[in-house]
Amino acid sequence: MSKPTDLVQGTLDLLILKTIALEPMHGWAIAQRIRQVSKEVLQVNQGALYPALHRLEQQGWIAAEWGESENNRRAKYYALTKSGKKYLQSEQANWERLSAAIGLVLKTA
Amino acid sequence: MRWIKSIGNRLRSVFYRNAAERELDQELKFHVERQISANLAAGMSAEEARRAALLEFGGVEQCKEECREARGIERFESLLADLRYGFRTLRKSPGFTFLSVMTLALGIGANTAIFSMVNALLLHPYNFRSLDTLVRVWEDRGIDEGFDARYITPGDAEDLRLTEGFFESMTTYGFQSFGMGTEGDVQPVLGCKVSVNFFDVLGVGPAAGRLFAPGEEHPGSDQVAIVSHGLWQRRFGGDAQLLGKSLSLNGRAYTIVGIMPKDFDYPVPAELWVPLALTPAEKADRSQLSLSALARLKAGVSVSQAAAALVNFSGRLEQEYPKTNAGRKTTVLQLRKELYMFTLPLFSLLQVAASFVLLLASANLANLVFARMIGRQREIAMRAALGASRGRLAQLFLSETMLFSILAGILAMAISFGSVRALRTSIPVGWTKWVPGWDGIRVDGNVLAFTVLVAAAVGIFLGWVTMLHTSRVEPNKTLKETGAGMVTPAKRRVRSALVVAQVIFALVLLVCAGLTIQGFVRLASVYQGFEPASVLRVEISLPEKAYADKVKIQNFYQQLLRGAAAMPGVQVASLVTNPPASNVDNQTTYFTIEGQAAVEANEVPSADLQIASPGFFDALKISFLAGREFSDADGPDSARVVLISSGMANRFWPRGDAPGHRIRLGAQDSQEAWLTIVGIVGDVRQNWWNPLTRPVIYEPFAQSPQRSMTVLLRTSSEPTSYVPGLREVSRPIDAGVTLRGINTLEEEIADSIAIVRIMGILMGIFGMVALALSSIGVYGVLSESVAQRTHEIGIRLALGANPRDLMNLVLGQALKLTGIGLAIALPISMAIARAMASLIFGVVSMDFAILGAFTTLLLLVALLAGYLPARRAMRVDPMISLRYE
Repeated sequence: MSKPTDLVQGTLDLLILKTIALEPMHGWAIAQRIRQVSKEVLQVNQGALYPALHRLEQQGWIAAEWGESENNRRAKYYALTKSGKKYLQSEQANWERLSAAIGLVLKTA
Repeated sequence: MRWIKSIGNRLRSVFYRNAAERELDQELKFHVERQISANLAAGMSAEEARRAALLEFGGVEQCKEECREARGIERFESLLADLRYGFRTLRKSPGFTFLSVMTLALGIGANTAIFSMVNALLLHPYNFRSLDTLVRVWEDRGIDEGFDARYITPGDAEDLRLTEGFFESMTTYGFQSFGMGTEGDVQPVLGCKVSVNFFDVLGVGPAAGRLFAPGEEHPGSDQVAIVSHGLWQRRFGGDAQLLGKSLSLNGRAYTIVGIMPKDFDYPVPAELWVPLALTPAEKADRSQLSLSALARLKAGVSVSQAAAALVNFSGRLEQEYPKTNAGRKTTVLQLRKELYMFTLPLFSLLQVAASFVLLLASANLANLVFARMIGRQREIAMRAALGASRGRLAQLFLSETMLFSILAGILAMAISFGSVRALRTSIPVGWTKWVPGWDGIRVDGNVLAFTVLVAAAVGIFLGWVTMLHTSRVEPNKTLKETGAGMVTPAKRRVRSALVVAQVIFALVLLVCAGLTIQGFVRLASVYQGFEPASVLRVEISLPEKAYADKVKIQNFYQQLLRGAAAMPGVQVASLVTNPPASNVDNQTTYFTIEGQAAVEANEVPSADLQIASPGFFDALKISFLAGREFSDADGPDSARVVLISSGMANRFWPRGDAPGHRIRLGAQDSQEAWLTIVGIVGDVRQNWWNPLTRPVIYEPFAQSPQRSMTVLLRTSSEPTSYVPGLREVSRPIDAGVTLRGINTLEEEIADSIAIVRIMGILMGIFGMVALALSSIGVYGVLSESVAQRTHEIGIRLALGANPRDLMNLVLGQALKLTGIGLAIALPISMAIARAMASLIFGVVSMDFAILGAFTTLLLLVALLAGYLPARRAMRVDPMISLRYE
């Protein structure tokens, strides 16, 4: 792997939302999860992750709560809010439409 | 909900900054630690694990800053920081701060004070239910009946009230003066006879007791009275048991049934209300315009619709009763607008003048701020170079200028409480009691809100001016410069524009001030036809019961006059019903000329009626033109005679043969006695708003005695020193009679035009401030531009330029700026002067001398403002000025 793939801002938001849709997670775990699931292709830069988390919280899509981590430390857990869920659905649909369209263009053109 | 939470977050970020910071710190720290333990689990050494984790994370501080920004802390925090910074800058230059804040406070304060008057008098004059649906209704005979003459006949009013379709309700009323109290303590009080539904139509309830009940309008059951809050406090000492008590009015006993709320005094200045009890004959009368009327429009009916409907109504009456109603048009006017006719021109002029003062002050301050910005150019460039965006810079300067205006606004508010009270009490009650809402002039929520708005607007304006400046900063160029920073032509243009604006405002204000003051001076001499100096006036009101018949009245006044005339130093003692400058119109009367062909109802002539004793014309030195004066021989039993004013004589007997003709009071069907005109006297200006040549009929007191008269004494020394003597004279005749309204006629005149005097003073202050501010403004800009050219001037002088040419160069610039300003201001001033002349009762008139004088004054000021810095530059040794920089 040369350089971690730069993530477009909107994409990072989508990835974060999707990742914590299953269960509340802290920042480190979110980064790990995205890397694992994408098979090490998507490397989330912490310098982008945390501002994105704070922005999403500010926008009300996610909510933060302090909790106990797997190694018994206090960690900030982020969970999807109700409006966040709706937002995720519409964004995911958007994304799928967009990528399908791009795929079509790339295949046929 | 989301935005609530978002705001909560922001607030938390600002107020619990430490807590939020700590959390952020912990969160990131946890991340690094978690990575370290993950790295350890992957088999790295402790040292290596730590290094790798930190390396992977990148810049912690940068990440934190981005997180803060994502939370929107930035804006709040930086605003606080900017305000703190602004405060420090202001403290660093206390002189500049003091001057600017004072200038602004003056401008804002002037507006606050005037607005408090506008607020009370124009915006909230009455506390009535849905004020805008209340209208005044009256009948217009199509001839000039004098100031404020809006009356209706009882018969027409009743018809109108019964006609479906126009009004929801309608009521009539009329002033009446009463002698209140019992023998020995009779006080005159101005009351109002009102239809029993009067208060219901206005939508006002009593503070205590009840309103009038139906049935109380019938003669005989009308002896009930409602008193004003003021009368209750003043006359009855706030007696809690007042209701149900008996009150003697003109010798009749009335029961007090109600007390009105504090702010109710309609129609001003009434202090007492009794039912309007008309006999059936009086009620049906269609010839005397004797009542005032008020109506409430039906919901959804506009004033113009009502006016249109009334045209038909008048037409119908005209057809039905041609003898009485010919040519009479029923007219409506919104109650609120009726007031405007009187107060709007005065106070809008003051408000406009005050706002000009503020604009001038703002322009001046903008110039000062601008000058300071030039000094701060390097700071701005540095900030821009370090990455401050334009918006960020705007916020910085806006918070600085907002600080100015906030400070000035606070100062203005603090001063306004005192200044508004001073304004309210600076005008004698004799005048202000006629102005509805005058006592309501105070600093209330509206006034404070207005002040805040004005202050904020000024702050934003100044901030905007500052931004004009920063928009053209080029960091690269500015930072490389050595001097204090160059002034680009664009910037100089802005400053020049500000100077031009100041010249415009200054000239307009000065011209307005000049015209108002001139108007006042002219008003003071408007009372023509008599000599007010050395005249004492005293009002006497005899109780109705004790002086029921004319002989008694006659005897009292005869003895009083005889005694007064015998006092040493009294030249003439006389009586009149309504002396000049009383602020009250004369009683008017119709009259019929003997032998004249019958005229249409609307052409019945009317005139003022005065009743005077023989000495009256001597006491006031009113000129005597033809025939003979009253004499003591014109007694109750001799032939009835009258004198008429020359205005009346010229109008009705243009051939000059008035004496000898007979007239009688009342319309054509009048049964009054015929009165022979025996002489003509000069015209007298009754009140400052009356035309000089109003027709006046004078009846001799002996033939028509009245209980309420004003005694006029012409004295040979200070008039008020004769008051104790007059009391000595009056007491033995009737110890129960009190002397009131004691004043010299000269002071009475000054009081009657006090409002114009106060306006003159205010406008004068505004004008002076305008002159001072604009002089400073012109001087500031010119001295700076000269200072910047010191180098150039030095070179020119060194190369042998003629100092006079250089001087002309600088003076030329001064003249150019002022000239442009004056060229724009002159037409504006002329237009405003013309508007003033038509609005302010004609006391102000266009005066080119004033215009010319102030134009010259401003030019001289500009020349001086250019000359001083130019001379300074000339005197500098060329060598020094070349080294300057």
